[in-house]
Amino acid sequence: MKNILYNTGYFLKEAKTMLRLSLLSNIFSLISTGLIFFILAMVISGWLISSEVVEVIQGEAEINVYFDEDIDNTGAVQLVERINDMDGVREARVVDEEEAYQRMVEILGKEARVLEFFDDNPFNAFIEVKIHLEKIEPVLERLHLMAGIEHVRDNREVLDRLQSIAELSKLLGYLIITAVGISTLVIISHIIRQGIFNNREQINTLRLLGAPENFIALPFLLEGLLLTLGGGLLASILSVFTLKQVYAQMTGPLPFIPLPPRETLVPGLVILVMSLSGILGIIGSLLGLSSAKSK
Amino acid sequence: MIEAKEVCFKYPDGTKALKNINLKIEAGDIVYLTGPSGSGKTSLLKLFMGVEYPTAGTLEVLGQAIAKGQATNIRNMRMRIGPVFQEFRLIKGRTALENVMLGMRFLGIPPHQLKANASNALIKVGLEHKALSPVENLSWGQCQRVAIARAVARKPALILADEPTGNLDKDNALNILQLLTSFKDKDTAVVITTHATHLIHETKDIQIIEINDGSICHERLGLT
Repeated sequence: MKNILYNTGYFLKEAKTMLRLSLLSNIFSLISTGLIFFILAMVISGWLISSEVVEVIQGEAEINVYFDEDIDNTGAVQLVERINDMDGVREARVVDEEEAYQRMVEILGKEARVLEFFDDNPFNAFIEVKIHLEKIEPVLERLHLMAGIEHVRDNREVLDRLQSIAELSKLLGYLIITAVGISTLVIISHIIRQGIFNNREQINTLRLLGAPENFIALPFLLEGLLLTLGGGLLASILSVFTLKQVYAQMTGPLPFIPLPPRETLVPGLVILVMSLSGILGIIGSLLGLSSAKSK
Repeated sequence: MIEAKEVCFKYPDGTKALKNINLKIEAGDIVYLTGPSGSGKTSLLKLFMGVEYPTAGTLEVLGQAIAKGQATNIRNMRMRIGPVFQEFRLIKGRTALENVMLGMRFLGIPPHQLKANASNALIKVGLEHKALSPVENLSWGQCQRVAIARAVARKPALILADEPTGNLDKDNALNILQLLTSFKDKDTAVVITTHATHLIHETKDIQIIEINDGSICHERLGLT
């Protein structure tokens, strides 16, 4: 430990020298790790944005509960209270006949004229139940068992599709992040192995002089870390610029897509990319060192 | 300091490099290992450094048995040796001073003392004016001196020099041998391999061990 403290400046200088001695190869490595991290940043952004969209849509997931016509307002309110108490229910409220009529007017737009042919309001009051999508089954089961409920319109097909999209989006996100993580590890460990190979004479000399393995390894570890942090920084700069452009393009022509605020997304993304680059840099360097050592 | 009993060494391809070597080197000794090229001098030095292990017999260097499974102890032992390699093994892209300092960096010496020790060692070998020169810009003889400075700056108990006069003209070779032997003191032994026996400046306090075909064929004190 004393040796490491005494030699902090030396380790940094050695790492810098190693980077300088294979400058061109290291520049290419930095650019390639930067681009990999950029892809990772874009995948994560896409994942966060799609998660936001799915979450918003999930928030809209609702089922309509029609109750017996002989149930008066007080009975309906009691039903709503019981439904609100159910696990998996976000919110339940009564949509009265008038609101149901107005909603249909909005949906039909110009065609709403057809409603004028009815002497009376053709729509019944119902209970609108917003649910947690993943708990649709138990909620439906309990609703069917409740007294006073005549019919439940569960929009099952649409909700199932929503559920599938949410799961697929998560799975794709995990797969891509894993693939990018593995690629980064392979690249970094290869760079370190290459660095060890290029410096094998120096390493052998240090071993002959009695240098401990961690003393020999630290500059290589730092080299890997500096390369990945540089790559992470490059990726962060590119991501900030790209996200700015993407937001400018999307918020204008596609205002209905619910994007997470850029002020929250960008700093979080930069912190995540820099942390990942640091962690992957250390793991990649250790893998490179251990594989070179075992050779 | 070094004690070899019936040491044999065979390379993996079956070549017998050393046969039944018996020797004892004490602190304060100056020992020349001489013999023609391929006689086994460098192989013996490799055993002293713990780079290779005896295939038979026992070898102890600075109290450490040179044998398999002793890697950590051998590494610690190497910290007490000042090696001067045949091909110098200086680190390219670094200055003479940085090379000398590098040999001490893992010995737990504080940074300010590290630089002072390295500078003193370069003064001792007469290269203080080249301290900041990259080693690529130095001549063969100057590189040899940097390698010696790196070895002695570590204040070793044992200096091992492998063919330090190779590729040097007579005057430079004599200077290098004189320089190396000057680092002998009551706690430090100096072991030098050379095939150039005519360059050895014989005095009473040196030992000359002649090796031929992997065996010690002659052993004598200087001037005898």
